[in-house]
Amino acid sequence: MIRWFKRAFTGKKNLPELEAGEEIESPSRLLRQAFFSKKTALFALVLLLGVLAFVFIAPAFIPMDVNYTDPLQQNVAPNYSMRSVPRGLKRSVATIDGFSGFSVGLSKAGEAFVWGDSEDRLNKQDMKVIPEEVKQEGAAQIAAGKDHILALTKSGKLVGWGDKSCGQYGFTPVLNAVTMPEILQEGIAPESVRSIVCGYQASALVKTDGEAYLWGNENAVKNLRELSHLTGVEQIAFTNSTAIALLGSGEITTGSDSVFTSVATVDGTLNIPLNAYLVERKAVFIAATNKCVAVLTEAGELIVSGVFENGENELPQLKDGERFVALDSGTRHFVGVTNFGNAYGWGHNAYGQCELKADGKTARVFAGALQSYAVDEQGNLTQGVGLKGYIMGTDGRGRDVFARIVHGGKMTMTIGAVAVLLSSLIAILVGCVSGYFGGWIDVLLMRITEIFSSIPFLPFAMLLSQIIKYYNITETTRIFIIMLILGALSWTGLARMIRAQVLAEREKEYTHAARAIGVRESAIAFRHVLPNIVSVILVSMTLDFAGCLLTESSLSYLGFGVQQPQPTWGNMLNGCNNSTVIQNYWWQWLFPALFLSLATICINVVGDALRDALDPKSNAHK
Amino acid sequence: MLAVLLLLSLLVYLVYNLLPIDKAADMAMQEIAANKNLIYAERYLYWQRRYGLDGGLLVRYLRWLGLAPFYDGSFQGLLQGNLGSSIAYGKPVAEVIVEPLKNTLFLNLLSTALSLSITLPLGAFCAIKRGSKRDTAVQVATIVGYSMPAFIIAILFIWLFAIQLNLFPVSGTSSVGKDYVGFRAFLDKLWHFGLPLLVTTFVSLGGMTRYVRAAMIEALHLDCIRTARAKGLHERLIVRTHAWRNALLPIVTLIVGWLTSIFSGSIMIENVFGINGIGKVYFEALTTNDNEIALAMQMFYIFLALAGNLLADFTYGLVDPRVRVGGRQ
Repeated sequence: MIRWFKRAFTGKKNLPELEAGEEIESPSRLLRQAFFSKKTALFALVLLLGVLAFVFIAPAFIPMDVNYTDPLQQNVAPNYSMRSVPRGLKRSVATIDGFSGFSVGLSKAGEAFVWGDSEDRLNKQDMKVIPEEVKQEGAAQIAAGKDHILALTKSGKLVGWGDKSCGQYGFTPVLNAVTMPEILQEGIAPESVRSIVCGYQASALVKTDGEAYLWGNENAVKNLRELSHLTGVEQIAFTNSTAIALLGSGEITTGSDSVFTSVATVDGTLNIPLNAYLVERKAVFIAATNKCVAVLTEAGELIVSGVFENGENELPQLKDGERFVALDSGTRHFVGVTNFGNAYGWGHNAYGQCELKADGKTARVFAGALQSYAVDEQGNLTQGVGLKGYIMGTDGRGRDVFARIVHGGKMTMTIGAVAVLLSSLIAILVGCVSGYFGGWIDVLLMRITEIFSSIPFLPFAMLLSQIIKYYNITETTRIFIIMLILGALSWTGLARMIRAQVLAEREKEYTHAARAIGVRESAIAFRHVLPNIVSVILVSMTLDFAGCLLTESSLSYLGFGVQQPQPTWGNMLNGCNNSTVIQNYWWQWLFPALFLSLATICINVVGDALRDALDPKSNAHK
Repeated sequence: MLAVLLLLSLLVYLVYNLLPIDKAADMAMQEIAANKNLIYAERYLYWQRRYGLDGGLLVRYLRWLGLAPFYDGSFQGLLQGNLGSSIAYGKPVAEVIVEPLKNTLFLNLLSTALSLSITLPLGAFCAIKRGSKRDTAVQVATIVGYSMPAFIIAILFIWLFAIQLNLFPVSGTSSVGKDYVGFRAFLDKLWHFGLPLLVTTFVSLGGMTRYVRAAMIEALHLDCIRTARAKGLHERLIVRTHAWRNALLPIVTLIVGWLTSIFSGSIMIENVFGINGIGKVYFEALTTNDNEIALAMQMFYIFLALAGNLLADFTYGLVDPRVRVGGRQ
């Protein structure tokens, strides 16, 4: 193979010395000249090489967990502002909170700020549009849920905005929801409110006298109705599916529903329920991620309980005498501040949200969904780490579209390339043998070619792909079989073309010469004739490559190719086949479509220019 | 030709046998579930015989073709016009596909006519003005057109025409809840088919234009054109009569072959737009394991492709007296 390439492209050097002034114009040189004189083709080639380099190099730098999903980051629009704390807030932070794509902040003067992906495209709402009463009066407390924000104004009114279809706020009863208690309707003095908390479509209010109210979607938060009205409460926290109450007695209750069955301390993980561990200890502070709760005890001990999927149980090592005084939690990570003024983060760290510096100046820490912030004594924001945003947004399962495009591109390109190599291999074999040897073997091979070319491609590929679904094979094997299917069904056109070329070459003088000096027939076919038609084959392979990319993506788009969650450019568009996505979440279809189209267009332009350059007629008539 | 069809039918039948679906077992299990007294083996055998699923693979294949008898001695295969019956619809396959076939034909014939009326003049124009700026522009546009997969064009068009401009419905074949009759019904159907029609046409524009252009360029380089020019004929006359007629030969064959291939190509469009066409029927049959309907459709596609090849050969001979089909040296 390498020798063919050498001969095809650098053939001139192997030729005997030529007399000075007599330039020989080898076909490959002409080809190069004709190709490089076309600016569009050159541009397309550069672009194509860029795309290829991008999809094969970038995956090494952009790690992706194929199975990762995040329901709180669904359909986030492309933006890079998720960590951009507004200027007005940076100098006087009172609180920062975040649960999904957007974060809220409250300045010490009571001004409310919202940043990040704050637009709810389905309900045509923008979280950034802060209600007038909150703007004018200023807020005393603020909290952010998955799709709603709750603020307590300075005059004691509880104002919500965002989605309220699941009873997140508002006094009108909603199906399957615990309605906001009537008592809150006439207002509540801000001094008597200890905290307001928002979770996944649920909210809570804790008064200084220990009375707590919880309301919201009871399908989302399982024990919501049970805990809807409590007394003697210090603090409320929400995981994704549970409400947790910290009582003044130092106990923690989740109602009849006991979800925390293992406990992690600095010394390691124990398989005992949280409440059993807390029997001799008094809890004073809690914070909850999606699936875990972190507890501070009176003795200064830190405990984490729940499902540890992201290293939530790998607690930070503190110095002697250092102990946590406050905690906050994001979706999958915790942050805490110690009595030495050091901030620590632990848990999920894919976006660097745990990399807070222990600088000894931190007074308070806050966590957005995937961000962490540290604030000093005066309320100045000193540190902000974590996710800035997604350049290409996220899809319907909260996965980063950009990462999927990068990894999907690698998959798409690999499948296309392998399929093309395979089909070319078959085509070269069939074409050469059939064209050079002729006779009965030609007839037989051409019949087989006819059979294969009569098979309607898409329906048959769908059928084969459906069949391999039934056999218990790994995804890698499946992808490999799909490459085989694509390759085995698409060689016929090239085989016919090669046969025709070989037929023409067979009668040329050099073949006769080779035969005359006694070269074996098979050697003539594959080592003399084939190198002479390799440029034709290469051009055809280029165009076939684009064809294979298209067929792979079409199959994947229909759901018969590579399966989710493994991304390819085709199956990334699979979920976009409805007007909701097309209308509201344009980034989910535009970017994969753009990349796929760009790749195929470039390949076709290059292939086309090559073919034109190869065709002597097109040169002669220009 | 016939041999190829037979071979392909065997191939397809064998491939379908790889699907782990046993209709007789399903029926037997259903009966057992309804009536506990029945013996599974007995009922299984009954249904196997009923469906002609007993015996070896070759016998079953021949039964399906209609060349071997069922247990009761009757012949009920493809040759007898029996395409099998659909599980999901509970009807014979032939009945199931009548309406979808109409929709597919309507869509594809209309789009073929539409795209031909654009591509033929455009391709010829580009060939005549070859190398000009307008030609280059069309060349670039057509490359972009045929490089983009149909579903991306469909999504773009839905976004543009159905959502932004609100000109067409997003999917479906008729307005829900409105019983139009006569001409109104036809208009309604046309309105629903508007977007798929546009997409199908658009998808085919690129390739067709390039093909027509290539054929026309080829024809313009024929010796007879040079002769005509030498004789001093008017350029318009040369193009219209001498070149165009010659260019038409490959184009006609292409159109015939292409007409058959769009049937399998419309699987994509029909699924995107939710049109009840044969492509969608095939897609759903495959995904819901409605084996016999999928098998019948597969054979239908193969038959169409082969018939298309044959038809193309014949038309070639018909329009070009120089070609004699079957005349092999």
